[in-house]
Amino acid sequence: MSKELEKAGLPVALISAMFPVAQQVRANRIVKGVSIPHPCGDPNLSKELDARLRREIIQTALRALEAEVEGPTLFSPAIATGG
Amino acid sequence: MIKIVHVVNQFFAGLGGEEKAGLPVGVIEGSAGAARALETALGGAAKIVCTIHVGDNYFHEHKEAAIKTILDAVRAAEPEVLVAGPAFNSGRYGLSCVEICNEVANRMEIPCVMAMHEDNPGVGVYREFANSRLYCLPTAETIAGMTDALSRIATLTIRLARGDEIGSARKEGYIGRGIRRLEKTDQRGAVRALDMLLRKLNNQPFESELPMEVWDDAPPAPALAQVKDRNIALVTTSGVVPWGNPDKFKTYRNTYWRKYNIAELKELEPGKWEAVHGGYNVAYMNQNPHYGVPLDALRSLEAEGAIGPGKLYPAYYVIPGNQGSPTVMRRIGQEIAADLKKDGVEGILLVAT
Repeated sequence: MSKELEKAGLPVALISAMFPVAQQVRANRIVKGVSIPHPCGDPNLSKELDARLRREIIQTALRALEAEVEGPTLFSPAIATGG
Repeated sequence: MIKIVHVVNQFFAGLGGEEKAGLPVGVIEGSAGAARALETALGGAAKIVCTIHVGDNYFHEHKEAAIKTILDAVRAAEPEVLVAGPAFNSGRYGLSCVEICNEVANRMEIPCVMAMHEDNPGVGVYREFANSRLYCLPTAETIAGMTDALSRIATLTIRLARGDEIGSARKEGYIGRGIRRLEKTDQRGAVRALDMLLRKLNNQPFESELPMEVWDDAPPAPALAQVKDRNIALVTTSGVVPWGNPDKFKTYRNTYWRKYNIAELKELEPGKWEAVHGGYNVAYMNQNPHYGVPLDALRSLEAEGAIGPGKLYPAYYVIPGNQGSPTVMRRIGQEIAADLKKDGVEGILLVAT
């Protein structure tokens, strides 16, 4: 699905906890998600930290859209994730 | 007596479903769960020394640790053949089977047998590994194909353990790995090529000796300069939909997508949304739908100017991705792309579970 969107000329930042698989199926801009049942955030954190982590993940995804890449590239959010 | 080790997920070990997908690696002496049925299929010709189980989420979230523990357990059991699965159309399970088998085959130099449906994403990785010690048998899409799958696994496993010569994928029925095999023939290449050409000219069926690799490698779409001035849309396979699931998505194998309006919303209120997806534990997503549709973060970045005013598309796109066949997901991707381009969207955030 990600590939079809890219073929149409739309850059995709794929946020996923299964990033090694995303690399294997050759998605191009991959953002490291926290965990399979909760890619954007971590329920083990306080509400405030969880929201901050989510913001950091989305900021990383926006940066990924601005990055020129030549093939599968992994972008890691700066805040350490729980998973 | 031939010794076998069987690797299964938490479900097929009989330990529980999605709520137990976080279980770490465990080792049970002898056969348990699906391994018991495999032992029956082996009909006394081989013995299952131990059953190793690992949670579907745990494996992918702690891959290095999981593989290390599994390798230690397999080394201790000294099997002739490792069996993993059958995984049918379960994506996480299929992928962990392939990765475990590949590691065991490389480190311990023993053959490994697994089984799954041909649409399982594990099959793509299996082809990519092209490891001559790995054999993956095709199965039905669901557990309904269990008996047949186990009997075929048993037959191949016994032959491998005995050191039988295993023929080509076409002849033996396992899924092709893209490995070229050397074979002796009494006809030279020029004769075979001309014979093939004549068959082709006469519209007769022919088999190439060198099937062309079909690459589906999309070159990266160009980057967006100044992302804050660009139209951005959110797409998700998490299955987060308005409470009550108005468009009747199924928990697996969906064939259509929908978009839901978020133009007036600052955040997604828990209780007004739910996650419909049979492939992961949706409890967290139901408590806080932002884990799949991070609208709170997007609005906060919008307020700061990292996303320009009005630049976030007023709806998000969703399809529960569980067991989506590659063919359907390709079509869905094309349809969503067409819809987004019509509305001038330039970049996509895709949240995948």
